[in-house]
Amino acid sequence: MQTSQVRITVNGCVIDTEPTRSILEAMIDAGETLIDGVGCMGQGVCGSCRVLVRRQGESEVLSALACETRACEGLQVAFLDHLPMHRHHVYAMDDWNGDSWRILERINATFPEAQHCRHCGGCDSACPKHLQVHKGVMLAAAGDLSAAECFDECIMCDLCTIACPELISPNHLGLYVRRLSTAIGFRPADLVLRLHQIERGEMVIDQDVASTQP
Amino acid sequence: MTGIDHRLALERLLASDHAAPNPIDDIEALLKAHHPDYREGSLVSLAVGANRGSECPTALAASLQSNARIEDADLAGAPVVDTEVLIIGGGGAGCAAALTAAEAGGRVILATKLRIGDSNTVMAEGGIQAAVGEDDSIQRHFEDTLRAGHGCADRRLVACLASSAPDSIRWLIDRGMRFDLAEGGAIGGKLLRKKPGGATRARILSFKDYTGLEMMRVLREAVELDERIRLWNRCPLVELLSDEAGHCVGAVLYDLALHRFVLVRASCVILATGGVGRLHLNDFPTSNHYGATADGLVLAYRIGAALRELDSFQYHPTGIAWPSFRLGGLISEAARSAGAHLLNGLGERFVDELAARDVVSAAILRECAEGRGIEREGMVGVFLDIPELERRQPGTLAQRLISLGHLARQCGIDPSREPMMVRPTLHYQNGGVVIDENGTTSVPGLYCTGELSGGIHGRNRMMGNALQEIITFGRRAGLHAARSASRHPAPKVGLFHLQGWRRQLVAAGMPLDRFGPDLFPRYANFDFGDELALRGGKRTTYAPKRARRVE
Ligand SMILES: Cc1cc2nc3c(=O)[nH]c(=O)nc-3n(C[C@H](O)[C@H](O)[C@H](O)COP(=O)(O)OP(=O)(O)OC[C@H]3O[C@@H](n4cnc5c(N)ncnc54)[C@H](O)[C@@H]3O)c2cc1C
Ligand code: SF4
Ligand code: SF4
Ligand code: FES
Repeated sequence: MQTSQVRITVNGCVIDTEPTRSILEAMIDAGETLIDGVGCMGQGVCGSCRVLVRRQGESEVLSALACETRACEGLQVAFLDHLPMHRHHVYAMDDWNGDSWRILERINATFPEAQHCRHCGGCDSACPKHLQVHKGVMLAAAGDLSAAECFDECIMCDLCTIACPELISPNHLGLYVRRLSTAIGFRPADLVLRLHQIERGEMVIDQDVASTQP
Repeated sequence: MTGIDHRLALERLLASDHAAPNPIDDIEALLKAHHPDYREGSLVSLAVGANRGSECPTALAASLQSNARIEDADLAGAPVVDTEVLIIGGGGAGCAAALTAAEAGGRVILATKLRIGDSNTVMAEGGIQAAVGEDDSIQRHFEDTLRAGHGCADRRLVACLASSAPDSIRWLIDRGMRFDLAEGGAIGGKLLRKKPGGATRARILSFKDYTGLEMMRVLREAVELDERIRLWNRCPLVELLSDEAGHCVGAVLYDLALHRFVLVRASCVILATGGVGRLHLNDFPTSNHYGATADGLVLAYRIGAALRELDSFQYHPTGIAWPSFRLGGLISEAARSAGAHLLNGLGERFVDELAARDVVSAAILRECAEGRGIEREGMVGVFLDIPELERRQPGTLAQRLISLGHLARQCGIDPSREPMMVRPTLHYQNGGVVIDENGTTSVPGLYCTGELSGGIHGRNRMMGNALQEIITFGRRAGLHAARSASRHPAPKVGLFHLQGWRRQLVAAGMPLDRFGPDLFPRYANFDFGDELALRGGKRTTYAPKRARRVE
C-alpha cells in the first residue's frame, strides 16, 4: 500500500515522512541524532519530548508532545530544551504537620504566587493533556484540597510552568497538594492492620514450605 | 507472516459466541514451539565472563561481550568528584535508593542518562503488589511469586519482597503517593485490589491505570527537592572504576551536555539502570523506554558480577500490533484482568486470558504463526475485544481502563466500538545481576537494584512485582550502601578490570571492535566513538592502538 508523503520542518531541518509517523519517528527515520527530548517514546507519560508546533495555514503556535503528535503537511516543529531550573518552591514533607488547620497558610507561604493568578488561561492552553490546570490553581489557592484531582493525569512536563506569567508553577503546586494531603491523610484500614500484624510478628513467612502449588 | 484480512475478521468477531477456549493440553510443547525463551536456536553460549558457558539471546550476548570504549588516556584531565554513594539510573529503583541513602546520612550523587524519571517506571500502568487483603497473606504472596517464576527464584529474596511489600506501600504513601480505594474514604477505607494473572488472591494496588506515573512523579519531586542529593541528568555511566583488587570504586560518566567525561570516586556504586527492551532481542518490538539498553548489566558483567536467568525475558502478551507507529506499546494486563477476551481471526478464543503471561504470549504467537492472526496494513496480531467487555460490564473503560482509552485514541480507534490489535512485545528482563537482600553483588562496592538485578522473578514475573521490587530493594540497597560507605575514596582508582577483560576477549577470539554499552538504541543515530572524535582534544581509541601493536 502506497502511503502519501508529507513534508515537515523540525528545528529548521526539512524532513519528508509519512502521516502515520510521529514527530520523533520522523526524525529518526531521517537520520537525525535523537538522544534527548525523548523518554517513553510514544506513551506520552514522561514529558520529555516537548515541542512547539505550528500547523500549515495557522498562525497560532501550540505546545505538544513530539511522541504523540503525528506528522502532517507543512507542520513546523521546534523542540523545547529542559533548562535546569532553580526550584523556588521548596518544602519538606512535614510542612503540614503540627497544625493541619493552617494548611491554607502553608500553601500560601510555599506557593505565594498562586494568590496572584491572572486567570489568563495560559496554563490550560499549554497543557498537552488538556487538564484543568487553572481550576486546580484556584482551588489550591482557596485551600480546597480537591485541587489534587485536577492533576491526576499530570505528566509533569512543566509546560504550564513555562506558560505561567506569574511563575506559579501550577503542576508543582498541584503535586504539593497531592503529596501532602496523601502523606498526612491517607490511612487505608487494611494496610494499617497488615502492618500491625507484621510488626507484631503475627504474620511471618515460612520459606521452607515444600509446595508452591495452589 | 500473513493473517486473515482485518475486515473479514471483524465480521467473524461480531458473529462470535465468545465460547470459553479449549484448555491447552501440553503447555511445555506450546512454549517450546512458540516462546522465544524456550525456542531452540535463539540463544548462544557466552564465551567470557562470570557466566561463561551460560546461554543468552544473541543480541544480548554481543553487548555483554563487548569491549570498553575508553581507556586511561581518555580520562586524563577529566574532573574528579568524590561521594560516598553513587547511584546510576533515575527510575524508581534509583530514586528509592537515593532517597533512602540520603535519609541515612550518606553523601549521594544520582546520575542518569536521560532526565530523571525518563524510565520504565513512569510507564507502568497496572500496579504494584502487596498482600494487604484480609483474605491474603505475605505467605501467599511469597508462594504465588515462587510458583509463577517456575520455582527458580531465590527464596530469600522473594520472602524479603513479600514481607516488606506492605511497608514499602507505607513508605510510598509517606512520600505522597496515592492509591485507589475500593470502599470508604482516605481514612479507614479499603484499598482497591486487582488480581494478577497466576495469583491466588487479588493483590495489585494501583492508582487509576497509571500507577508508575504517580509513583515516578512523587519520587522525582522528592529527589529534586532533597538538597542532600546531587542530581546529574544526561550523564550516562560509560564504565565502572576499579581498584587493583577488582573492587568497584566509582564510575566514569559522560556528560552529554558538556561533552566531557566525569570521574566519580565512590565507596559504593548502586546500579539501577533498568531493562534491555531497546536491544530488541529476537527482533521483537518493545514496551520499554528509550534508555533501556542494558548498560548497567553490561558493565556489571564486565567488572565481574555474576548474572542469572539471562535467557529469560518476558514478552508481554498484549503489545500494540497496529498501527505501526505505536508498535510494541503496552496494553496493560488490566484489560484482561477486567475480563477482556482475546480472539483470533476466526472469532475464536484460544487461551485463558488470565493464564501465566508466557503461556498467553506463546498462544498468541502460535495463532499468528499458523495463519489465524489478523492482518491490517501488513501488521499481524489478534483481537483484544474491549467493545464486548464494555457491553458486558458497562463503564469499565471509563473507570478502570483510562490509559487504554488514551492509547486507543492515539491509535485513532474508538475502543468502545473497535477491538485493539495485539501481539507480544518484549517487556521485561526476568533475570539479571545476582544480588543478596541488600542488593550487593559478587563484586565488592557494587550494588544492583531494580530490573537489572535477578533472582526475584525466577523465569516469569507476575504483574505488579517489578514495581514492588524497585521500592523494596531500592530502599534496602540505599540503606545498606549509606551505612557501609566509607568517607574516604579509594586511594587508587582506575580501569584495572579492563586489562583482564580484554585478555579474555582476545583469548576467546571475540571481536575487540564491538564496543559497549550501547547507551542508545541503534536507530538513535548516535555513535559514541564519533562523539568522542568530534569533541576535539586528544583522543586515542583502543582499536588503533591494537593495530599499532600488531605492526
Ligand atoms: C510499559 C510498561 C508497563 C509496566 N507495567 C508494570 C506494572 O503494571 N507493574 C509492575 O510491577 N511493573 C510494570 N512494569 C515493569 C516496571 O515498570 C519496571 O520493571 C521497573 O519500573 C523498573 O524500574 P527500574 O528503576 O529498575 O528501571 P527504570 O525505571 O527503567 O529506570 C532505569 C533508569 O536508568 C537510566 N539509565 C539507563 N542506562 C543508563 C546509563 N548508562 N547511565 C545512567 N543512567 C542510565 C534510565 O534512563 C532510567 O532512568 C512495566 C514496564 C513497562 C515498560
Ligand atoms: S498540568 Fe502542567 S505539567 Fe501537568 S501535564 Fe499539564 S502542562 Fe504538563
Ligand atoms: S498561567 Fe498562571 S496566571 Fe495564568 S491562569 Fe494559569 S496559573 Fe493563573
Ligand atoms: S517521549 Fe515521553 S512523553 Fe513523549
